[in-house]
Amino acid sequence: MATTTLKRLLTGPYLVAVLFLLLLSSLYLMSGATQNSARFGQLYSLLLGVNLLAIFLLVGLILRHLWRLVRQLKRRAPGARLTARLMVMFVLLAVAPVTVVYYFSLQFLQRGIDSWFDLRTQQALEDALELGRTALDGRMRELLRQARQFGSVLGPVPEGSAALELNDLRASSEASEMTLLTQKGRVIAMSSADPADIVPAMPADGVLLQLQQGLDYARLEPGENGLMVRIAITITPPDASGDARVLHAIYPVADRVSRLADSVQNAFGHYKELSYLREPLKFSFILTLSLVLLLTLLSAVWAAFWSARRLVAPIRDLAEGTRAVAAGDYDTRLPTPSRDELGFLVRSFNEMTRKLAQARDEASRSQQAQEEQRAYLSAVLTRLSSGVITVGDDGMLRTANEAAAQILGSDLRFAIGQPLTALSEAHPSLEPLVSTLAAHDHEPDWRDEVILFGSRGRQLLRCQGAMLPGVGEIEGDRVVVLDDVTALIQAQRDAAWGEVARRLAHEIKNPLTPIQLSAERLRRKFLAILLPEQADILDRATHTIVQQVETMKEMVKAFSEYANTPKLNPRPLDLNGLLHEALELYKGEPRLQVELALDPELPMVEADPGRMRQVLINLIKNALEAGEPEQLVQLQVNSHCVQESACQFVEIDLMDDGPGFPEAMLGTLFEPYVTSKVKGTGLGLAIVKKIIEEHGGMIWASNASPRGARMLIRLPVKTRHPHPTGGTTHPLGDPKQAE
Amino acid sequence: MVFSTRASHTPRRHRRLTGWLWLALILAWPVRAEFQVEQAATTLTQSVYTLDARIDMAFSEEALEALRNGVPLTVVLDIEVTRQRRWWLDATVAHLEQRYRIWYHALSDQYLLRNLNSSAHYGFQSLGRALEALGTIEHLPLLDEELVDRRQRYEVSLRARLDIEELPSPLRPLAYVSPSWRLTSPWYTWPLQP
Repeated sequence: MATTTLKRLLTGPYLVAVLFLLLLSSLYLMSGATQNSARFGQLYSLLLGVNLLAIFLLVGLILRHLWRLVRQLKRRAPGARLTARLMVMFVLLAVAPVTVVYYFSLQFLQRGIDSWFDLRTQQALEDALELGRTALDGRMRELLRQARQFGSVLGPVPEGSAALELNDLRASSEASEMTLLTQKGRVIAMSSADPADIVPAMPADGVLLQLQQGLDYARLEPGENGLMVRIAITITPPDASGDARVLHAIYPVADRVSRLADSVQNAFGHYKELSYLREPLKFSFILTLSLVLLLTLLSAVWAAFWSARRLVAPIRDLAEGTRAVAAGDYDTRLPTPSRDELGFLVRSFNEMTRKLAQARDEASRSQQAQEEQRAYLSAVLTRLSSGVITVGDDGMLRTANEAAAQILGSDLRFAIGQPLTALSEAHPSLEPLVSTLAAHDHEPDWRDEVILFGSRGRQLLRCQGAMLPGVGEIEGDRVVVLDDVTALIQAQRDAAWGEVARRLAHEIKNPLTPIQLSAERLRRKFLAILLPEQADILDRATHTIVQQVETMKEMVKAFSEYANTPKLNPRPLDLNGLLHEALELYKGEPRLQVELALDPELPMVEADPGRMRQVLINLIKNALEAGEPEQLVQLQVNSHCVQESACQFVEIDLMDDGPGFPEAMLGTLFEPYVTSKVKGTGLGLAIVKKIIEEHGGMIWASNASPRGARMLIRLPVKTRHPHPTGGTTHPLGDPKQAE
Repeated sequence: MVFSTRASHTPRRHRRLTGWLWLALILAWPVRAEFQVEQAATTLTQSVYTLDARIDMAFSEEALEALRNGVPLTVVLDIEVTRQRRWWLDATVAHLEQRYRIWYHALSDQYLLRNLNSSAHYGFQSLGRALEALGTIEHLPLLDEELVDRRQRYEVSLRARLDIEELPSPLRPLAYVSPSWRLTSPWYTWPLQP
């Protein structure tokens, strides 16, 4: 905790503030040192050093910043150019006024210092000094004269009594100390005003030297306690035999005079020194000023760097954040720098990215929900036994479910996004469906039935179409629900006919036998006893009854056969062989002339041989019965394989040269009880159609040109390969393909 | 054209070279030993080693000019007694710093000399005398005999220098860089003998 606080203090703006304060105070001290050498004189060099160091430090810092900025500019880092511009602006703003101030300060400094010095002042001071000297000189001359008088007194005094005499003389004068010496410097006697002073103040070597040259010494000397006058004279002995003596006297200068003299001396000395130091002073002032300004300038530049960087930091963050957002990263959160407009901007940015992220999450959530919905729907549609397809306004297949593909027997995935016509081109068997859909185009709600004939045989589809409610892209789309009702219809029909057959058997066939028996009984009983003409009538009537009942019985039997469909027993069947077998039965028929054209490569089909034989026999019989009696019937029998898209069919074509079908009957030819023949139950073709349909085949009847009827049977060849839509596969498929 | 570029280079390089040479000269210039210890000796008197020395206090013209104009100058005598050690740096036994101040007294027209250590105070009528007195050291007590081990070898070093830090502050920046203010004698070293 404490260390982090310390770290924050050392790295944050606090440190900078402290440094600036220190720098400022050092500058203040330095300027003080420049002006008053006594106050901060000792610190001057240190301060100079500190400030120079600070300058180097600042220059280093600035260079580092500059180098970083240049590198960022080269790297085209975001915010670098703005930083550079701000920096240049700040620096210019700082440099320009500082330069102006510097220039004028220099001017003032030069003139200011020069103005301190005045010739008249100097002259006055010199005069004052001279005056002082003159005044003191007069005093000195007086004292010298006095000393000489003392000398003449002291000259003849013997050494023994010299001290007393000296003391008297000193006491009578103003001298603070008097010493009598030999010329060699030996003290003969001394007297001092201060009784504690027992060591005589000896004259300097120079003084004695001067005395030896015969000159008296009188001079003003600055002593420890103010000014004093030192006088030394040679005392010539009265007789030639005696040694010369020296009188050394020290007179203090009167207190007031001394003070005045000191003042003059100090003022003069100071002025002299100052005027000598004029140039160095200027130099040192200029140096101080330059240092101050340089430091200020460098600090300003550094502060400019710092503040530009600080100012640009949120903008740089914003730029980076914007870049990140543009790249799709909405999770960028910028640090909020302050409470100012930039902070507001950054906060707005953060809010924006947050909202963007929210919107994106919302969108992705809703997309996911939609996806789930779609998956759910798709699952429902897939599990639906009904085929569902949607068709666009433009006739394009939009979607199709699994069941649709199964029902239609083709992989619809490739057809999605293609027009329906392309589907019918790829799968011609789907053509009826496509045309039906086209026919009901733009009908809001419709129902229809379509018969398809594909690889899986005949299929009856019940189609229901509706416009999709919707706007935008899916507006005008249609949904079509397909139901394969082949088996259902078949089952319904079988059930219906079975019911009819049961009724017929019960309601019609049962009374027929009693009718027949009754008629035969009438005939047996009354034929013998009636008159011949009456008997003839009875005979004919009963005969007719019996015959008609017989016919009715036959009819009911045939109908039962039609209705009570036995279970199919399909197995691989060679249709060519079956054709041969059926025609073999009519070998004895002289009227029939058969023209066979069988495809030897005909694939096997899955069929019940007995039922198929019944079909062939029915058709051959029909051809025979259609022709005039006693007239040859020309029958052409073809068999061939047809490849239609992915499906294979076997076609059998039977063509006679009879009168053909009446045009009015062609539509209902295969309905029960429709016949053009005099004889017959009218169920022959109905049974044929039923059997063919039970085999998943189709049969068409048409009139051949120029004459004759044509029956075309088409049966699917079931391949071993599973159909992509899940068609059933028989283990014994096409023998050719099985190889 | 090729020559012109080379020609334009040469003077500049020349000038720069000269500049560097000047700088090197200023920095490497052996400090002009204006002061010079002419002779120095120690004598053992009353079990105290005392120093007698003569130093030529040859002030530079700038310094003399300042002195004449009332600027006081401070001269420092550095005296060091070291014990010689064969395998290690010499040990300093004693270090003395004698400070003298010399200045001009205009009123009495005298040069005053003061020993700042002892506050002894002398006046001289001529600068020459004052400098002579400044350069003459007599019987300066240096070291007690007790502190000296006879078996060891001792050396005494002496030098005189002008104390720039005592100059008035306006002069100091100039004094730092000008050789004429850096008045320091080389060390004068002699063996300590009784």
